[in-house]
Amino acid sequence: MSSDYVLKLDNVWKKYSKTEFFHKSVREEITGLFSRKKDGALTKDEFWALKAINLEFKRGDVIGLYGSNGAGKTTILKIISSITYPTTGSVTVNTSVAPLIEVGAGFHPDLTGRENIYVNGTIIGMEIKEIRAKMPDIIAFSELSDFIDMPVKKYSSGMYLRLGFAVAVNSSAGIMLFDEIMSVSDGAFQQKCINKIKELKQDSRTIVMVSHNLSLLQQTADKIYLIKDSTAVPMQAGDI
Amino acid sequence: MDIIKRIIKYRQLFIVLVWREFAVRYRYSVIGVMWAGLQPLSMMLLFTFIFTYIMKLHVSSYPSFIFYFAGLIPWTFFSQSLNASIPSLTNHYQLITKIYFPRELLPLSSIAAALVDFFICAAILFVFIVIYNIHLTWNVLWVLPLIVLLVIFTTSVSLFLAGLNVYYRDVRLASNFLIQLWFFMSPVMYSVDSLSTRVKLLLFLNPLTFIIENMRRVLLEGRGIVLWQMAFVCAVTAVFYIVLCRFFIKIERAFADVI
Repeated sequence: MSSDYVLKLDNVWKKYSKTEFFHKSVREEITGLFSRKKDGALTKDEFWALKAINLEFKRGDVIGLYGSNGAGKTTILKIISSITYPTTGSVTVNTSVAPLIEVGAGFHPDLTGRENIYVNGTIIGMEIKEIRAKMPDIIAFSELSDFIDMPVKKYSSGMYLRLGFAVAVNSSAGIMLFDEIMSVSDGAFQQKCINKIKELKQDSRTIVMVSHNLSLLQQTADKIYLIKDSTAVPMQAGDI
Repeated sequence: MDIIKRIIKYRQLFIVLVWREFAVRYRYSVIGVMWAGLQPLSMMLLFTFIFTYIMKLHVSSYPSFIFYFAGLIPWTFFSQSLNASIPSLTNHYQLITKIYFPRELLPLSSIAAALVDFFICAAILFVFIVIYNIHLTWNVLWVLPLIVLLVIFTTSVSLFLAGLNVYYRDVRLASNFLIQLWFFMSPVMYSVDSLSTRVKLLLFLNPLTFIIENMRRVLLEGRGIVLWQMAFVCAVTAVFYIVLCRFFIKIERAFADVI
């Protein structure tokens, strides 16, 4: 096999604007219908959120992205899931990518846990029938059976996360993305998440996790990258 | 066409989003889905009171409240779709920055929910037609292509304004005013029937004029549609659809960065 990677980021750069309003861009889109614009240069208010990112992931890899807040970890997940697009460089994906980068994203506070399982399940590409069939498993995994018919606005952040994780692991996507999944859950559920991730790895899924908790990443990830100053550096076993 | 393909691909999510729109809207309301009929019905009473009893206008050979109601139904669909879809993208900030899915699903689910309200009102209108014994002809069937035109036109305008609102919140602020102006430009409380062709053509640049006018005509007056007018409005609507939807798809990629 010539290309055994499932995901490749090739010299990816991402530019963001610091100013709150981005008025210029809509005009640029319109004028850009006719001309190619140059993406390389920075204007006064812009900065590089990602610089020359080169990553290559294989099937069954569990990758940790570690770094401080604002280093660009989440931006990498957004680019992988095509929530946003790189300014220059290319992303090649040879499998399906879970569209959701944060567990529990898309929950509606007024809907009950059960109803939100339907919303979140279809977001990750499950069929409605499939969700109905897997409902008991999802509820059991979340350990929330007593509260499943309660609006999620009454949930604690830990409960919220449990439910989100319980749905997210049902995704059939080849690449799964987790942003800070384990930061607010208790020890027992954390262990359950770690086991589940190992299970998914055996199923040869590729998992990309973001955290600023290094010891959690070390328990699960095969490879950890340090994201610092908008660049990605592989971390050696001895680091930190 | 791209948009239709994407909806088919994401239809399960679309169904759930429409259901969610409904569930959330009526969850903590006492009279629930009755709200759908309440707004056009109360406007209808108001118009009938002002125009028939105060100004003593004679608008139709059938009861005038039916005249007003038949105009208010498509109008309410249009204004509700706009009102709900314009902030739909900015209100779902957390979905757009955390999840990948075709962004048009959000405004479209608002429109779909308004369409359900539309059919509830249409059922009420049908009851009026039966009670007041209004004679229906085969021309009634024209209502179906008119509904299709209405939905396509509403979709194009909603997508365009919802997308623009991501960049310029002025759209949301201007929309109340804009919708009010649009209301007077559309034949809800009057009819363009007796105007000259030249004025009609001008008014038909607003496809709603043709749609509302003719829904009433085929349904309540049993008359047919003028075919060249239909062709003209179809062409105008098609241009709107192609230009506005292409614009939406063009700016959609940057939503997560800008919103």
